[in-house]
Formats: sequence, structure tokens, C-alpha cells
Amino acid sequence: MQCEDVRPLLLDAQRGRLAPAAEAALGTHLAGCPACATEDQAERLLTEALEHHLPQCPAPRALKRRLAAAWPSPVTTGPARWHDRLRSFAPVLAAAALVLVTVPFLASVADVWRARSAAVLVAEAVNDHVRVLVSQHPLEVTSGGMHQVRPWFEGRLDFAPVVAFGGDADFPLQGGAVGWFVDRKAATFVFRRRLHLISLFVFACDGLPWPVRGAERMGSAEIYPRALRGFTVLLWRVGDLGYALVSDIDAAELRSLAERLIDPA
Amino acid sequence: MTRRPWVASGGNAGVALGREALAHADALHHLARYLTRNTVDAEDLVQETYARALRAAEQFTPGTNLKAWLCRILQNTFVSAYRRRRNDPTVGGLDTVDPGVPDAAEETWLFGDPELDQLRKVVDEEIERALMSLGDDARAVILLDLEGLTEVEVAEVLGCAVGTVKSRLARARAALRRRLSDYARR
Repeated sequence: MQCEDVRPLLLDAQRGRLAPAAEAALGTHLAGCPACATEDQAERLLTEALEHHLPQCPAPRALKRRLAAAWPSPVTTGPARWHDRLRSFAPVLAAAALVLVTVPFLASVADVWRARSAAVLVAEAVNDHVRVLVSQHPLEVTSGGMHQVRPWFEGRLDFAPVVAFGGDADFPLQGGAVGWFVDRKAATFVFRRRLHLISLFVFACDGLPWPVRGAERMGSAEIYPRALRGFTVLLWRVGDLGYALVSDIDAAELRSLAERLIDPA
Repeated sequence: MTRRPWVASGGNAGVALGREALAHADALHHLARYLTRNTVDAEDLVQETYARALRAAEQFTPGTNLKAWLCRILQNTFVSAYRRRRNDPTVGGLDTVDPGVPDAAEETWLFGDPELDQLRKVVDEEIERALMSLGDDARAVILLDLEGLTEVEVAEVLGCAVGTVKSRLARARAALRRRLSDYARR
């Protein structure tokens, strides 16, 4: 690989767009070419400067209010949505019950039902994340660090949300709030990645349907990655607590945050 | 552009997009702010973008990238409403704004270690000023790339070929680095 071949690939390599073979060839060239290595470093520093030093310009609240008012979207609270969803699922549940009684395919039907129920969890996570994004006051406590955010939940929840990762330069913690997840209260932690917000919902997971397939090992936990409506959702459990991490950032970046949350350094 | 009230007229498709579309308001406003270079126009541009999106909600393909679709509407609105309004032939493209910038391929290893030092010390004001000094196309391609859109999506937003996106982005980033290097020399 020649130097003139390397230059156009540097940004692709940064963005993870190169095939493994090309990435390996690029790495070999950079290791032996100080000029290209300097160029690569400059490109990475420029990206870092853009991501961390370009002033962010979020939409003013007044503008969001105008947009929300002009583009109606029904917003209801957690328990009400749960009941609404139950009603909408009533025919499915009734049919499933009938099948359970009359047809000797108990295991397979249960699997289907659990898959659908687990899909409800994913949809709930995405809807709750969107609610964080469009809310005029998404954070009830803004972050001075995890040592400030986590104690804030004391007395507001009937469980202690265990989150040992307090954010870093890549994923700064923005703050927290109490919200609803399906039919129960949840601790909401909001992290940021460039312009993107990332929601972490922590909730007591007893009685909730959990995905039965597609688990992947990540450190000390099993995660269930799902994608819905352009958002990536990562679900995992630790003891009695369930975790749902949601954002529209690149799935690999979201996994990077999940790794820090599951097994903090 | 004056602010004007607009009403929901996108039917069921518009309502279905609803909250998800609104979730991208921050990203769209950020893009609009750096395209229009001022906050008042940015708000108008975002508001007009959502009005157009609502009217065109039926045309959105479920399962595709909603943010990219909104960015395309914003970019088209910006081009048609703002760039034309300026009526200034020297503004509007990377080449005309920055004629002194050589092609990225020719600018190989122009700066070296002093540039690395400058990039490490860059402050918010410098990166903003450097970005604002670029042409519309250059700012747009840098910001869309920063938003995490793929090259294919950026090409759809800008209405050009993927190869053009690659070359524009390389030239825009080279121009940005040159600007930042110039600040260091002063």
C-alpha cells in the first residue's frame, strides 16, 4: 500500500468502514510510515476537536414547544400506556390462552408469546427515550457526576439503582430523572455522545417478560441487542434489576458505553 | 424568512412520525445554526423543515433513517430559501469561498507536528470560527458526517454522488485544518 492510497482511507478507518484486510494493511503502512502516521493523528485530532470543542446548539425550548404543538403526538404516562397496551394486546392474549388449552404445542406458543412481550419492552424503552428527547425538562437533576446523581434517587424509588459508571470524556453523564418503565418506576440516567443523548433506564425487572433468544455475552452480563425505528436498544439484567440502554448513535458506540456500565474500570 | 404558524396536516402518517421526528430537533437546530450562521434564521429553518416534513410524511419510508430524511428536507429548504436569498455569487460553495485551498490529495503532510500541537490546543471559539469560514457545502458535509450519517445518506441529503461526498469531505476537512493552522501562526 502506497502513501497516496492511504490518505483517502484514513477517515474511513476512523469511522470503522474498512474491511478487516484493508484495515490491517493500513495499520501495517502506518506503523512504518511516520508521515502517514502523523496525518492519521491529525485527522483524529480534528475529529476530536469537532466533537468536543464545537459549541453545541440544541433547539431552544420555545422552539420545541412550537414544534410539539404543531405536530400532535399523544403522550400519556406509564401506567396508562400499560393498560392501553394491554387492551390492544387482549385479542392476542386471548387467542394465545385458547391455544394453550387446546393445542399440545405449549412450549412453542409460549416462546411466541414471550417474544411478543419482550418486544413490548423494546418498544417501551424506545418510547421512553423519545420522551426524554422531546421533554422540555428531561432531567430533574443535572449532573455534577454520579456521586451527585445517584443519591438524588434516594427516597424517590423503592429500589437502589446500581450504576457504577459515572461518565467520562466519551460519554459524559448529563443527569437523571425518575420515570416510568412499563408499569413501574424507573431511574433514568442520561449520557451524551457528541450531539446525541443516550438514555439508561434502570428498573426492578421482576414479573417483566424478558427476551428468550439472541443473548450475547458482554463481560459479566448477557445483553439482548435489538433495533427499533432507527434506535438501538441493549437490554441486560443484574440480579433483580433490569437495564435498558437506548440511543440513535452507532450500535458499536452504544456497546462501548454498555461495556463501561456493565464492567466499569 | 418570517415565522409563520403551521398546522398539522400530515394525516395519520404525520402523527405516526410525531415524537420520533421531534426527537431530532436538537440535531436539526445544530445543523441549521451552522448553516444559516445565526440563531433566528436557524429557528425559522427548523420550523419550516418540520412543516414540510409533516406535509410530506406519507413519503417517508418506514425503517429508513428518519434523521437523514429530515436533514435532507432541511438542506433543501436551506438551499432554496436562504442561499438563493443571499444573491451573492461568492458565497455558496467550497471552491468559491476558499479558492486558496489545494486539493486534499496535494496537501499531503502539509503541517506535521506543529499542526498536531495546534489541534491538541484548539479551543471552542477557534473551531467554530474556522467552520463558519467555510462555504455552505463544506460546512454541511462536515456537520452531516459529524452527525453520524453514512456516506450514502449524506449523498442523499446533499443530492450528489457518494464519490462527491468523499472528495468534498476530504477537501472540507483539509480547509478546516488549514484555517486552524493559520490561527496558530498569528
